[in-house]
Amino acid sequence: MASAGKGTRGALNLLKNLPRVGLNNIKPLPGAFFKAPRRMGGGKSKRKCGRGHKGQGQRGTRPRLGFEGGNTPFYLRIPKYGYYENHSRRRQYPPLSLYRLQYLIDMGRIDTTQPIDLASLTIGRALNINPKRQHYGINLVEEGADIFQAKINIEVQYASELAIATVERNGGTITMSYYDPMSLHILVDPIGFFTKGIPIPKRALPPEDLVEYYTSAESRGYLADPKEIQKARLALAEKYGYKLPDLSLEERFKMLSIRKDPRQVLFGLGAGWLVDMNRKTVLKPTDPELLEFYKS
Amino acid sequence: MLSVGHRGVLMIVKPAKYSKALQRLLVASMSTGPVQVDIPTSQSQQQTDQLTVMSSPDRPILRMVDKTSLPRSRFSQPVYSWLETLGDIKDEKLGMVELHPDVFATHPRMDILHRCVRWQYLYRKINYDFARTRAEMRGGGRKPWPQKGTGRARHGSIRSPLWHMGGKCHGPRGPYSYYQYLPLKYRALGLKVALTVKHSQGDLHIVDTLEIPTTDPEYLEDLVRYRNWGKSVLLVDMNEEISENVCEASAQLNTINVMPLVGLNVYSMLKHDTLVLTLPCVQKLENKLLYQDNRHSHGAKGTITADRDVFGTWPDK
Repeated sequence: MASAGKGTRGALNLLKNLPRVGLNNIKPLPGAFFKAPRRMGGGKSKRKCGRGHKGQGQRGTRPRLGFEGGNTPFYLRIPKYGYYENHSRRRQYPPLSLYRLQYLIDMGRIDTTQPIDLASLTIGRALNINPKRQHYGINLVEEGADIFQAKINIEVQYASELAIATVERNGGTITMSYYDPMSLHILVDPIGFFTKGIPIPKRALPPEDLVEYYTSAESRGYLADPKEIQKARLALAEKYGYKLPDLSLEERFKMLSIRKDPRQVLFGLGAGWLVDMNRKTVLKPTDPELLEFYKS
Repeated sequence: MLSVGHRGVLMIVKPAKYSKALQRLLVASMSTGPVQVDIPTSQSQQQTDQLTVMSSPDRPILRMVDKTSLPRSRFSQPVYSWLETLGDIKDEKLGMVELHPDVFATHPRMDILHRCVRWQYLYRKINYDFARTRAEMRGGGRKPWPQKGTGRARHGSIRSPLWHMGGKCHGPRGPYSYYQYLPLKYRALGLKVALTVKHSQGDLHIVDTLEIPTTDPEYLEDLVRYRNWGKSVLLVDMNEEISENVCEASAQLNTINVMPLVGLNVYSMLKHDTLVLTLPCVQKLENKLLYQDNRHSHGAKGTITADRDVFGTWPDK
């Protein structure tokens, strides 16, 4: 008898020696069928239908929830404070840990031979980014920094200093890039956007409060000066005490140095281009005014 | 590791440790076929032939199904099945077929099978029961006798639910449909699980074609009995144009049925003991069922196609 081990293999081995699966021995999952509890009928007080005797309860004239008979109720006595003021307008960056990233790379869900951006992370089902929920991108978190081993060219929206150091120490590159909500919609669901038949818009520049972050070299911003970034890489290596690998000696140097244009949303596709899913072609604008507009 | 699903395995059993039910299972596992009362425990002809075939070095594993375009996880291994023929009663193996593990060795989800079978039963079920209410019954508009003075109970209509031949109060109201939409990915998964279950229990056979030499139904019966295929067999061909001999022979038999690939469904696979697929069917099944795994889901949560008002229509000029 083949041993019943763990997982799919174990289950299939078990099946070999069990009776033939037929219409008479399959069952649903427990709790799949919900049996509604009996409300009325049967019981001592079925005459009143569970509403009690006389009064507001039986007659259905109870006052609103929170009413305390006339005195100022609890929910009005307590003064307001802006804990949640404008919470629905605040930017959110759901976390992606280096631990999970390493796991996905090991399982083959993310291809390290190509630059990694939010589109490839979404396709590999790293996490669920929903622009409608005020998600502005992902935040690379340090959890798993000690076991991280991959050489990647990754583009995220925020990463802490240790996360940047981990990626660079392993011979990779990391960039912080801003996507406005419209561009983010396209990035997390490219095929859904292509089926709309609308030309790819220009990616917007970051808002005022984010300009400083995305132009600074310490945070590896996409608008920063590349020379400053190189200096910052060396400074970080010195700070954390590791030797910065020389990327120009890498086979994958070309792949590691690919960066998106600040106005570009998807790799390989420019602003103003239209992807025709039916005819499998890409249409580019030819009008000089349009070209001028999309270049700016 | 070959997993063709046959059970001719020698093992040392210590009966004292195991329960009676498990002992019966263990004994049965040493013979061929699943646990069935009517199959003899001695090894059948087919088993001996299979063993001699397996031991010969001239049977290569022929990659007869083109796998180059199909995605596969780096951690899964293919499973294998014999390529047989229906041309002769005696079982001759033509080679071996490599099967995609995500279709033929997926996790055996019995609850998915149940769901699919239930869906198949229910989606076309319509309950035609209809009971008329007091308003729909003929007559009953006039008050039968005055309110007071007659000494009888007070009534307003002869068709009230209290009366004989009166309307039904809360009865079944007209055609009621039990239609339910089962997502396409579930349906594909149901087929995959059913194929897996058939393969792992040794009830899946792959043949080159469904051609048989005669129209005599006895030929098919003898073949099934010799090869120990069970009580009922489902033969699946690629298109609706199936060879005449097989059609005529199976038409006269209750338990052996022929079906084009488009008709393959979980209920039929579980109803019949054995499933027989032709080789082009295997190719097409793998392509179609694996497509559902990796395709873009339109209208899934968080996608653009779910939010229709994100971009609107063509931008204004």
